[in-house]
Amino acid sequence: MAFYIARRLVWTLVVVACVVAITFAVFYLLPAGDPALRFAGKNPTDAELAQIHHRLGLDQPFYEQFGRFTWHFFTGDRYGWPGLGYTYASGSSVKSLIIARAPRTLLLIMGAAIIWLVLGVGIGVLSAVRRRSATDRLSMGFALFGISTPVFWLGLMALYIFWRRLGWTGGSGYVSPTDSLTGFFSHMITPWIVLALLYAAFYARMTRNNLLETLGEDYIRTARAKGLPERTVIFKHGLRASLTPIVTMFGLDIALLVGGAVITESVFNLQGLGYLAINDALQQDLPVVLGVVLVASVAVAIANLVVDILYAFIDPRVRYA
Amino acid sequence: MKKFLRFALLASAVVALAALAAGCGSKKKSSSGSTTTNSSSSSGGGGVVGSGSFSSGSPAKGGTYTVGWEASFGFTDNFDPTGEYLGNAWGLYSNLMLRPLVGYKHQPGAAGNETVGDLATEAPKPTDNGLTYTYKLRSGVKFGPPVNRAVTSKDVAYAMNRLANPKDGGQYSFYYTVIKGWDAVANGKATTVSGISTPDNSTIVFHLTKPAGDFNLRMSMPATAPIPSEVGKCFEGKPGDYGRDVVSSGPYMLQGADKVKATCPMKAMSGYDGANGNHIILVRNPAYDQSTDPYRKNYINTFKFVVNSNADDIFAKVQSGAYQDEVSSPAPKTIRQYATNSSLKPRMIPNVGDRTNYLSMNLTQAPFDDIHVRKAMNWIVDKNALQKAWGGPIPGSIATHIVPPVLFNNGLAEYDPYATPNEAGDLAKAQAEMKQSKYDPGKTGKCTASACKGVLTIADTRGVDTRMVPILEADAAKIGIKLTVRAINGAYPTIQTPAKNIPLAERPSWGKDYADPYTFFAELFASGTIIKSGNTNYALVGITPEIAKKVGATGNLNNVPTVDPQINACSVKLSEERTSCWENVDRKLMTSVVPWVPYLWPNNVFIIAPNVTHWNYDQFTDGPAYSSVSVK
Repeated sequence: MAFYIARRLVWTLVVVACVVAITFAVFYLLPAGDPALRFAGKNPTDAELAQIHHRLGLDQPFYEQFGRFTWHFFTGDRYGWPGLGYTYASGSSVKSLIIARAPRTLLLIMGAAIIWLVLGVGIGVLSAVRRRSATDRLSMGFALFGISTPVFWLGLMALYIFWRRLGWTGGSGYVSPTDSLTGFFSHMITPWIVLALLYAAFYARMTRNNLLETLGEDYIRTARAKGLPERTVIFKHGLRASLTPIVTMFGLDIALLVGGAVITESVFNLQGLGYLAINDALQQDLPVVLGVVLVASVAVAIANLVVDILYAFIDPRVRYA
Repeated sequence: MKKFLRFALLASAVVALAALAAGCGSKKKSSSGSTTTNSSSSSGGGGVVGSGSFSSGSPAKGGTYTVGWEASFGFTDNFDPTGEYLGNAWGLYSNLMLRPLVGYKHQPGAAGNETVGDLATEAPKPTDNGLTYTYKLRSGVKFGPPVNRAVTSKDVAYAMNRLANPKDGGQYSFYYTVIKGWDAVANGKATTVSGISTPDNSTIVFHLTKPAGDFNLRMSMPATAPIPSEVGKCFEGKPGDYGRDVVSSGPYMLQGADKVKATCPMKAMSGYDGANGNHIILVRNPAYDQSTDPYRKNYINTFKFVVNSNADDIFAKVQSGAYQDEVSSPAPKTIRQYATNSSLKPRMIPNVGDRTNYLSMNLTQAPFDDIHVRKAMNWIVDKNALQKAWGGPIPGSIATHIVPPVLFNNGLAEYDPYATPNEAGDLAKAQAEMKQSKYDPGKTGKCTASACKGVLTIADTRGVDTRMVPILEADAAKIGIKLTVRAINGAYPTIQTPAKNIPLAERPSWGKDYADPYTFFAELFASGTIIKSGNTNYALVGITPEIAKKVGATGNLNNVPTVDPQINACSVKLSEERTSCWENVDRKLMTSVVPWVPYLWPNNVFIIAPNVTHWNYDQFTDGPAYSSVSVK
């Protein structure tokens, strides 16, 4: 197992390096314009532009810039380790920017993940054990609604109704739990639910289908024939076997949301990592984009690894050498 | 348990949102009290909108004024006044934080563009045949914490030297190259500008190499405001870094300025969260003396400028009173909501924005290398439809020439060389013009040459662009020009590169830097401003074969018209003579050069909260006059 983990970690590094190199290349080889122009004012002279290029390190060839970025990442820069550089816009540390924004995204994901897991798996199980009943149809109706409703619309409507009309929630914006715990929950409950609804719908459908498939297996029939209580049959034998793909999906979904919850972050003005990446991509602030891409790709790679390891515990048939 | 029930109810209710939403009607309470909304109107066809103000009772001191700022601050130099070129940042500097030698009354309309003494006792008249400007400083003006001392002429000279030094990131230092010795500093041959002298602490003298009739206006820009050298030295050669520690000479300062020390390296003031951050908080400057400042009222105790990623949320918060104001662009639905609701309407204030939106035709590219085609385009474009594409008369009035009339002190208000019924275009006049073109050899009134097939047009991808493009395609087709439109998300880098030889650009828009037409003509039509990238003379007016070779432009370079002599002649004139001179340049451009189809003078529309008791537009900064706002 240790060898397996070590091998996977090495591959994780390779994957992250590839992702960063591709991002770097996209910005370098397919630029939407010269980032220096943003800092040059109107009608800059060639000399002024050259000076800004030099200041931002844009006057060096692609491979040198990439090499310097990689070197600083591993050895650290003036802001410490890992060296993620500084933003073009403010000259401040990308690392500190990411550290400031990451809790918003992580707390959003954590809260939403708990809701969608409980809601999605719960509805899926209920729907599977009461197949073709009114509960099943209502559950799948909910799933259809969750899948087909755009997050931005749901978010705006939720804000309108629960904040503006009813005054139940704290509205948009982020309140740190260290500043006010009630303020934090009051501001996060709506984005949690809105983000969770989409995923809960997927999880409900997936859990139902997997569980139905598992419940049709011979060993389930054997378990029932042995006279095991239905609760044990479903939760111990059925659900456990049907959870494997759910765990895979759960790990990847959480990792993808590290940089991908941009719509929810925008609608609810949470200004997390996804919003930071999009906003700075539009402003061609490459160091910030690279920083977020790096964090997101590490999250995906690690989540993959964790999911693979969890397989061994969930499914006894899986063993790693 | 109650909490759980509420959350459970919340969860189930979200599921039912779709059904509920359809039945939700507005029950918003209207604002009460007697209110007045005034406009000092400007001209323009298709609906007149002026720069405005709002008043509801007498203003009182105190309170917090929170402004929702859409998406990000978007600073160009991290809020460092030496390099910062963002208009919205200038609004904060000019109203609240900095006192340049020359300032404004922070009023709407042409009056708001008149210069007055700010740090100086007055905006002086030049001496020595327009070559010398001497400013006397007011006594009693002090820097706020952490400096806490009187502002002297040497602090202004220090700011100017910082602006001249390219290593400090000045983004509009080209306005000051008329000062003797400026270029020597810019080229690294000197460290101080020889043409600036400070005979005593309250006098500063500028010696120019040639007259500049708008020099007082140039000395109103934020980069010229005093910077204390004891703080400035911590940021020499570090463009942008001073933005987090701007020392105030105005009524408000960055929160936390009193918590840092003026010793290098300086810690950032807590009120500034960085260009990528999400707040700027300004509080009263304890060193500020109201008696030295006749034009700022300073009712508010604290200003909060907060970034919000959701424009709808910004307007919802303004409507609820959580924000008082916004730096955003109200969507057509928001404008419609306010325009059609009598209680909301006074709180939507459209203001003339000293800006022109236009189609730019490249004078070197067929078929626009023929003036008759360019004139035909001016006759045929349905400006009324384009105005509707922008949302009607509230977002802007129809432009009939280059520079908005407010910059001519409302001169040329009625000038419309291509007037058509209802500004909807005139096919007969367009065809008559086209018949004179070499691209219509058969005199059919339509361009029949191959040059008119597939004319590359660069547009942007905003909603308004997608509404404008079909109108332009249909209009151009009426005179035989078939446009091939390429929509690019962020079209400027493409159209700002002369080597790309773009015949027609749909995206351009230009606003003043300060209240003088020079900031239009010199930057948009002078041949000297044509550069390889970042070029703003999109039409390439005045391009010569030498310039074309330098920037990589190719096309028809024979006899491209120029207005360089006129721009040079006007730039040295003063007062009414100057205004009249610029008006003639505008006329010449519209009739003898015809590089544009100007179609809209956009308004800056602001929506304010129910608890705002006084608000007015600041014509110089093209934004709210923060120094005059009040809340209840």
